[in-house]
Amino acid sequence: MIKYIIKRLVNYVIMLFVAISMTYFLASAFMDPRSNYMARNPRPPEASIDRSLDLANINDKTSVFVRYFNWLKGIVTEWDWGLSPDQEPVGPAVASRISASVQLVTISTILSIIIGVSLGVYTAIRQYKWQDRALNALSTLFLVTPAAVLGLLIVLGAIAINNATGTRIFYVTGLHSYEGGNIGLSILDFLQHIILPTLVLTAIGYVNYHLTQRTYLLDTMNADYVRTARAKGLTLNQAIRKHALRTSLIPTTTNIAFSIASIFTGAVITETVFAINGLGRYFVTTINDNDINGAVCIAAFSGVCTLAGALLADILAAWLDPRIRLN
Amino acid sequence: MSEMAAETKDLGLNQDIANEGEPTVVVTRPSQGGDAQSDFKRTSRMTLYVRRFLRRPSAVFGMVIFIILVLFALLGDKISPWRYDEPDFTALAQAPSADHWLGTTIGGSDMYAMIVRGLGRSLLVGVISSVLIMIISALIGTTIAFFEGVVEKVGMWLLDMLLVIPSFLLVAMIVRSSSGTSGWLWLTIGITAFGWIGYARVIRTLTMSLRELDYIRAAKFMGVSSFRIIVRHLVPNLGSVLIINTVLGVVSAVNQETALSFLGLGIKAPDTSLGTLLMNGQSSVLTAPWILLFPSAVLILLTFSVQLIGDGLRDAIDPYSRSAGKAE
Repeated sequence: MIKYIIKRLVNYVIMLFVAISMTYFLASAFMDPRSNYMARNPRPPEASIDRSLDLANINDKTSVFVRYFNWLKGIVTEWDWGLSPDQEPVGPAVASRISASVQLVTISTILSIIIGVSLGVYTAIRQYKWQDRALNALSTLFLVTPAAVLGLLIVLGAIAINNATGTRIFYVTGLHSYEGGNIGLSILDFLQHIILPTLVLTAIGYVNYHLTQRTYLLDTMNADYVRTARAKGLTLNQAIRKHALRTSLIPTTTNIAFSIASIFTGAVITETVFAINGLGRYFVTTINDNDINGAVCIAAFSGVCTLAGALLADILAAWLDPRIRLN
Repeated sequence: MSEMAAETKDLGLNQDIANEGEPTVVVTRPSQGGDAQSDFKRTSRMTLYVRRFLRRPSAVFGMVIFIILVLFALLGDKISPWRYDEPDFTALAQAPSADHWLGTTIGGSDMYAMIVRGLGRSLLVGVISSVLIMIISALIGTTIAFFEGVVEKVGMWLLDMLLVIPSFLLVAMIVRSSSGTSGWLWLTIGITAFGWIGYARVIRTLTMSLRELDYIRAAKFMGVSSFRIIVRHLVPNLGSVLIINTVLGVVSAVNQETALSFLGLGIKAPDTSLGTLLMNGQSSVLTAPWILLFPSAVLILLTFSVQLIGDGLRDAIDPYSRSAGKAE
């Protein structure tokens, strides 16, 4: 088991290295930090532009390979992910936004899993009955609605409620606004902020769990061992709960592990709509500022998340499913 | 990723395959002529598909909505007095009226004309990139599976490697540098360039069982070239899966287009798309909600109708589908 995990890990580290290097070259080819300065009025002298770009190691007059090796050296020797065009270190900037992102996605992820899996089980047992059709239609609607549309419509609704009641029940921007020391009030304040983005992320997130869990359970419900359980005299509910459900949860578990990374990219839009200063919003800023190092740093972070999820999925699947042997 | 995990990931990506619990292969048979003298009337495959498709009210509903939207995008600007790039500076951020049917934006652009244009752009980006994605992923997915051995190992490693960084981030980097008028082209290229990878993995899984079939082996032993086997035998036999995925791929392509344009990274002024319109609407959500509401409604109609068509097609042309009725 440990040998297997180490082998996986080595493979993933190599994968990560190649993927991040590719991203670095891609970002260097398509992003143009020089244009930040060229657009300024009055335009700074060329020598000063070059000096600023050289300091951040993003000067397009230097060969991209030289820049790449400098960048790599900085990461390997000092864990320095480079500077933005404004000479701000990007590593701490990313680290400081991770907490906001985590706060944002944790509740909604848990809710998505609980709601999605229970709906999947509920509808699978009632296949083609009206409950199944109605919930499927609802999930399909959420599946196809772009996150931006959903977010903005919820903002619109929340503002209407705020106006109708005359009090500020929902906040539509940020995660915190209360400054005092009262813990109760600050929790209330946090809830008032988090509820709307959580609603959006949950509505988008649960759909996948619902539809896949339904399919998995329907697949196992027709399996021989479930029929055997029924033949032994178990009721349909017992047979499903004790035999079918267990097996059908295995793929869902790996799904959950994989979703670690997609949670992060799924939140880009939500963070923008609700003006939450998380990683997603920072990514948009780096793209708009031609911040090569910043964008690559975020890509690297989400790459780590993806592979952590993949590794977790491998281990969970092996642990839960006795049919899988690791070697 | 281990084989099992890879399988489940595939299943997660594509539910029509998950339906069967194991990779399904769709085998199309050449229609047989010659026995037309016999008494009974043959139901042709197309008739069967159309009949099955029409049996689902939701699919027909989706089709009708989609056709209306396409006609609207193509012909909508003929009946409007305004053009999307001709702002009316006497009417800024005005509510819907007889003059401006769906109101105007803050810059004075007519919302109706903007939506017609934006819908056209979103459709164009969505359909073109979805078709391109399916062509690329079909060729690469089958090639990787067909050659087996080292090619398959290296190919799968590369595919997994490309999936490490979320494609959304990479697309955003590429389309960022595009200018206003060619923005949609860059967006299509970007979505295509990073969108095929997941599908290629799915198609490789499907091909794995297809490549063991006798007619593929026969072709191999007869000395048919590998490229010919892939293009003439493997890809057509995945036809129904490819068609379904292309249709459903339009939904995700439109969603990506919307997301990128909404963040200001995709299609930019003077051109417009539904995502760009949403971005404009966001800033005036309180003062001029119609700027947000109309594009949102059109977007939901578009993606929902395509999804309904895709689901209907899946039931109509997927031989493993359960909706074709039971013969019990």
